[in-house]
Amino acid sequence: MSSWAGTFAVVSKDVRSEWRTRYAVNSLLMFVVTAVSIILFALRSADPASDLLAGMLWVVIFFTAMSGMSRVFVSEEERGTTLTLQLVATPTVVYFGKLLFNSVLILFLSLIISLMFQLLFQEFSIKSYAVYVISLMLGSLGFSAASTIIAAIIAKTRSRGTLYAVLLFPLLIIPLMVGMSSTIKALEGSPFGEALPDFQVLAAYLMVMVAGSSLLFDYVWKE
Amino acid sequence: MKVVKYSSIVLVTFVIIAGIAIPTVREPQGLFEFPMIPGLGQKSRNIFFHVPVAWTTVVAFLVSMFYGYRYVRTKNMDYDIKSVSSAGLGFLFCFLATVTGAVWAKFNWGDYWNWDPRETSIFILLLIYGAYFALRSALENEEARARLSAVYSMVAGLTVPFFIFVMPRMMAGLHPGAAGDVEGKGPVLELKMSSNMLFVFLVALLGFNLLYVWMLDLRVRAGKIEYQRIKQQTS
Amino acid sequence: MEDFLSVNQMYIVLLIVLLIWGGIILYLVRLEKRIKEIENSMKKG
Repeated sequence: MSSWAGTFAVVSKDVRSEWRTRYAVNSLLMFVVTAVSIILFALRSADPASDLLAGMLWVVIFFTAMSGMSRVFVSEEERGTTLTLQLVATPTVVYFGKLLFNSVLILFLSLIISLMFQLLFQEFSIKSYAVYVISLMLGSLGFSAASTIIAAIIAKTRSRGTLYAVLLFPLLIIPLMVGMSSTIKALEGSPFGEALPDFQVLAAYLMVMVAGSSLLFDYVWKE
Repeated sequence: MKVVKYSSIVLVTFVIIAGIAIPTVREPQGLFEFPMIPGLGQKSRNIFFHVPVAWTTVVAFLVSMFYGYRYVRTKNMDYDIKSVSSAGLGFLFCFLATVTGAVWAKFNWGDYWNWDPRETSIFILLLIYGAYFALRSALENEEARARLSAVYSMVAGLTVPFFIFVMPRMMAGLHPGAAGDVEGKGPVLELKMSSNMLFVFLVALLGFNLLYVWMLDLRVRAGKIEYQRIKQQTS
Repeated sequence: MEDFLSVNQMYIVLLIVLLIWGGIILYLVRLEKRIKEIENSMKKG
């Protein structure tokens, strides 16, 4: 089968098994609700300014990525289907399939998180929609790119959960910081031109991580 | 290697003596006087130690990445030994760079830590090294350990250019060369140092790197011996 | 005594740093000797 068909097959397999149990989506949505509630509670008496809220937004997205993005590979290990996947598809197909799945998942979740923030915090009013949407998308995709390759690396280790967070955190600092900076600009209503350097960095990060990961994935996947 | 060993000892000793003993005066005359850099005074001496050490930790990381790549292409265990050894040294130098930086920050800007972009970058590098060793300790199979830690160092290495070049230029910060710095790109790139200071600085850069090369050689040799011992015990 | 110490601060720092550095060099040189010995005994045996 062609590479595109293979990639699509990997994604649809994951979507279908996800849909059957709805495990990941449910637990991740619950995580999002919990995280936002904790923030609401912690900030109840204070009057949070927009830049604090932008930071909180990305913190929630960050921790959601930390808890949810490793499933794509860890679940294969847990179900014992890794070997089958290795036989049936080429590494490139597997990588892009998993990356696509993770990207859709995190875009969906960051959208939910954004909506919750808009509803629950008055100060969180988006003044430049274009800037906000682009920074959310680029940042989340950057998260997804880094998360996917690290998930592949730790899939076979023993202390998967903690190791995943430890390995992933240093890599996510860049999209986190730049994403926060451009989101703050979106909340303040800055013109597109001011956020452009941020977008350039985020786009560069995304391209570098995807390109590098797709080249290195072979070495992780095959022994 | 003998050349490396002796020259590194001589060079670093020279840097220590010259860097600390040569006085800083307002109007330097001749070879044995340094200029007073505005805002720094005596504290400018740190530039001979803090910057070369920070430079060396990045070199060590790149070397570790390179040998990781060689391992992954050839599956030769020697490369993995070189990769870990360099990473260990890089971690040491990174720690030293962070500490000397924090001490300098305290004297210059008032706080040990400020989350300035360069400070943040060196801290992230420290975390990357820590993550590298955490990953290695979680993998018992030597082939998996060598292969996966090599891949991680390369993936992490992809982000290093962002930290070194992009962040400090984009964001305002305390280090010279950050966005909004009136003085330009800092004493090194703008050549604010007098020629004798520059000389000591370049000697320091070379000396510390040679020291790293010597220490790497020792570690690799020790690593190979240990590896032979393990192979003998299990065969 | 205090006068002497306050005027010559730099040189006292220099002395301390040189002492520490000397210690490091001694350690590294001894380490190299030991590695050499082991390498030679491994080659012979």
